[in-house]
Amino acid sequence: MNDVVLEVTGIGKRFGAVQALRDVSAQFRSGEIHAVLGENGAGKTTLMNVLAGFVVPDVGTVTYRGKPLPFGEPIAIRRMGLEMVHQHFMLVPAFSVEENVALAHIPGLLRPLRASRLAEPAVRLAKDMGWEIAPSARTNGLPVGAQQRVEILKALTGKGDVLILDEPTAVLGPDEIDDLFRVLRGLRDQGRAIVLIAHKLSEIMAIADRVTVLRRGEFVGTGVPTPVGNGGLDARTLALWMVGELPEARHDRSVAASEEGLALESILVRGDRGEAAVRDLTLAVRRGTVVGIGGVDGNGQVELAEAVVGVRPLVQGEVRWRGERARAGRPQVAYVPQDRRGDGLALRMSVLENLLVAGHRDSALKRGPFLRLGAAARWARGLVERFQIKIGSISDPVGGLSGGNQQKVIVARELSSEPELLVVVNPTRGLDLRATRYVHDQVRRARNAGASVLLISTDLDEIAELSDETYYLSRGEVRPAALGAAALVGGVP
Amino acid sequence: MKRVFVEGGLVLAGLLLILIATIATFGLPVGESLRMLAEGSLSGGGLARTLVKATPLILAGLGMVLAWRAGIYNIGGEGQYLVGALGGAWVARVGVAVPALVLKPLVLIAAFLAGGLFAALAGLLMVKRHVQVVISTILLNFVALQFFNWAVTGPLQEASRRLPQTDRVPDSLMLFRLDRQNDLHTGVFVALASVAVVTVFLFLTPTGFRLRLVGDNPRAARANRIEPGRLQLLAIGLSGGLCGLAAGIEYLGITGQLGYGFSQQIGFLAIPVALLGGLHPIGALFSGLYFGALFAGSENLARFSGFGTTIVFVIQGVAVIGFVGLRALIERRRTPEAAL
Repeated sequence: MNDVVLEVTGIGKRFGAVQALRDVSAQFRSGEIHAVLGENGAGKTTLMNVLAGFVVPDVGTVTYRGKPLPFGEPIAIRRMGLEMVHQHFMLVPAFSVEENVALAHIPGLLRPLRASRLAEPAVRLAKDMGWEIAPSARTNGLPVGAQQRVEILKALTGKGDVLILDEPTAVLGPDEIDDLFRVLRGLRDQGRAIVLIAHKLSEIMAIADRVTVLRRGEFVGTGVPTPVGNGGLDARTLALWMVGELPEARHDRSVAASEEGLALESILVRGDRGEAAVRDLTLAVRRGTVVGIGGVDGNGQVELAEAVVGVRPLVQGEVRWRGERARAGRPQVAYVPQDRRGDGLALRMSVLENLLVAGHRDSALKRGPFLRLGAAARWARGLVERFQIKIGSISDPVGGLSGGNQQKVIVARELSSEPELLVVVNPTRGLDLRATRYVHDQVRRARNAGASVLLISTDLDEIAELSDETYYLSRGEVRPAALGAAALVGGVP
Repeated sequence: MKRVFVEGGLVLAGLLLILIATIATFGLPVGESLRMLAEGSLSGGGLARTLVKATPLILAGLGMVLAWRAGIYNIGGEGQYLVGALGGAWVARVGVAVPALVLKPLVLIAAFLAGGLFAALAGLLMVKRHVQVVISTILLNFVALQFFNWAVTGPLQEASRRLPQTDRVPDSLMLFRLDRQNDLHTGVFVALASVAVVTVFLFLTPTGFRLRLVGDNPRAARANRIEPGRLQLLAIGLSGGLCGLAAGIEYLGITGQLGYGFSQQIGFLAIPVALLGGLHPIGALFSGLYFGALFAGSENLARFSGFGTTIVFVIQGVAVIGFVGLRALIERRRTPEAAL
C-alpha cells in the first residue's frame, strides 16, 4: 500500500539572482499525508509549480510511478494523475459551481457539454463528504471556504491519485480547517497520496504523517513529526529546521530611543474585498526604533502598511504622530511597498521620473509652477551614485532594470528626504545578498537619524537583524513575539 | 533624441508606403495621384488648405493626448466637439450686443468650457462610480449628437426657422482671414500655441508629471499619496475642453454657423491623430498636419477620381492599425517579464 508514487530527485531552479530551489529531493507515498514545510521564500510554491508543470526546473528529475514527469506540460501531468489545489483559486468567478467543476472535465471540442451532468460525480462526492454546496450558485458569491471546496472537488473528481494542496488553510477559519483535515484524512485512508504545502507548525503536527522541510530553497530533511520532545521531530526542532540558526539581533544604534513617534490606536482596516484585514490593532513605534512585524503573507500586512501611510482609509481607530492625529504632510512619510512593480514604480517611465515621484514636491527642483529639469537630473544622478544604482542613463525606462536595482530606485527615492516615519514591507524580497545588505544599512541609517521605522516582513532573519521590538501578525491581529523561532513561525508555544 | 528622429523617419516612410498601397488598391495611377495629392496640399494655396484642415485635428488630437496619457481612453471627442460648438454658438447668440473683439474670445472660452464640462460628466462617472470611460464616452457621443440636432432645430435655430441650422454669425465675429482664397484663419495660431502649452504642461509642471504618473501606474501614484481621481478628472476635462475649442475654432474660422453637417468626424479622427503622434503633443502636431494634408490633397484628387475623401479614412485606418501593432511589438521586446 505505502509504495512511493511520486519521487523528486535533485531538483534545482534559479530565477535571475535568486536560487529558488537547490538539490531538493523527496518521496511521496500513497496513503500518506506528506507536508512540505518552510518559511515564505523557502521554495515551497516553486516546488509545487514544478510538479504542476508551470515551472521547468534547471536540473533534476521527478518520476510518477516510475515514469518521468513531462516538465512544463500541465495538462499532460494532470492526465498522468497529479491534481493540484492552488493557493490562489483558479475558478471562473461568473460561472456556477457545477460549471467550474465541469471545466476540469471538458470532453473535447465537438462533444456536447452539459455542465450539470459533468459535475454530477463531484456533487455526489460532496454529499458523501458532508459538504453542502449548491451546484447552481455563482462562485463569486461564495465564501472563500466554499470556493476552496469547489477547487478540491475539481481535483478529486479527476482520475488522479496524487493530490497536491498549496497552503490550503491560509484562507480558512478554525472550523473549516478541522473539516478540511477530516476530508484529507479520509482521502488518505482511501489510498491517495496527499502533498500538503504549509507553513504553520501547529497544523503540520495535527495532520502530517511525514514532513519535508525546505529552507531558502534547500532540502533540510524529511521525518515523522512527533508531539513531544525526547529526541523526535517535535515542533521546536521543526521550527529550527525551518529558520536555521537565528542571528543575534544587532544593536548598533547611536541615537537613544526616546521620543514618542507613531501610535496606532485600535485601528480597523478593510481589505480590497471588504473583509476586516486589520482588526483592533494597537501599536507604538517610538522615534529612533525599528518595530518588526513578522507573519505570513496575506494576514493584513499590506493593509496595515497602507493604513499607516494614509493610502487606505481607517474604518475605526486613529493613527497618531507624536500624540496628535496624523494629517497630510505630517509626519514626513517614506513608504517602500511590498509590490514594487505594482505599487512602487511606473515601469514605462524613466529612472529620473520614478525618482521624481518623491522629488517633484521638493521646492529646490521647482521654479514657480515649473519643474527645473536640469536641477532634477543633477539631483537624480546624485541619488543614483549615492545608492549605487546600476543603470546606463537616468532616462532609461525603469521597467528594464533588474529587480534589485528597481528596489534601489524606490529606496533611494523614499529615503532621499530624511523621513520621520519609514514604513517598509518586505524590502528585500527577491534581492541578492549585496543588495539586501545595502537596503538594511539604509533602514538602519534612517533609524539612527531618528525615524520611527515600521518593518513588516515575512523574512525572520530580516526582522531579527533590524528590529528593536518584534511582533507577529496573524489574521489581522498583532501579538508581541519573543525573537524565538517557534513563536514567530506559527504561534506554537 | 536620435531615437526620436529615427522613429519619426520610419513612421513617415511607413505612411508613404501605406499611401501608395492604398492608391494602388483603389486602382488609381500611383504617380499621377501622388502628384495631385501633393498639388492639393503642398503647393502655395494647397499649404494654406492643409493648415486649415489640420487646425481642428491638432487641437482635438492634443485633447486625446492629454486624456490617454492619464490612462483615460476618451472615445468621446466627437460628443465633446459637438457640445463645445453648441456652447460657443449659444454665447455668440446671447452676446450679440457685445463688441466682436470681446465676444470672439468669449465664444472660444465657452466652447472650451462646454466641451470640458461635458467630458467631465464621464470623468465623474468613472471616479465616483467606476463606470468605464470607454463605454460612457462612446454612449455620450450619441447623447451629444441628439442634443446638437435638437438645439439646431430648437433653441438655437435660425430666426427664419426654415432649415436645421443656426444663424450665421456676423462677419466681424469671424476669425481674421490670413488668406481669403483658401480660408486660412488665425485659428491655426491657437492650435500651435496649444501644442506648446500642452507640451509644457505635460513635461515641465508637477501637475503634468503627476498626470503622466497616474496614467502609467495609478497604484504607484496612490502609494505615493497622489490621489488619481482628481487628476483623471482634470485630464478628461482638459481633453474635452480642447475638443470643444477645436469646434469653436472651426465655427468662428470656417462655418460661421452650426448645422447637421458640422461635425466632420473631427472628434473621432482625433484619436488616430494622437495615437499616430505617439501620444506626444508635438507628435500630434505632425500627425495632425499629415492628415490635414491628406484631406486637402484628396479634395484635389476627388475632382478627378470620384473617390473623394474616402481614401483618407482608409489610410488612417491602415496606418493606425499598423502603428499600434508595431508599438505593442516594441513594448513587448522592451519589458520582458521579470523573473519571480
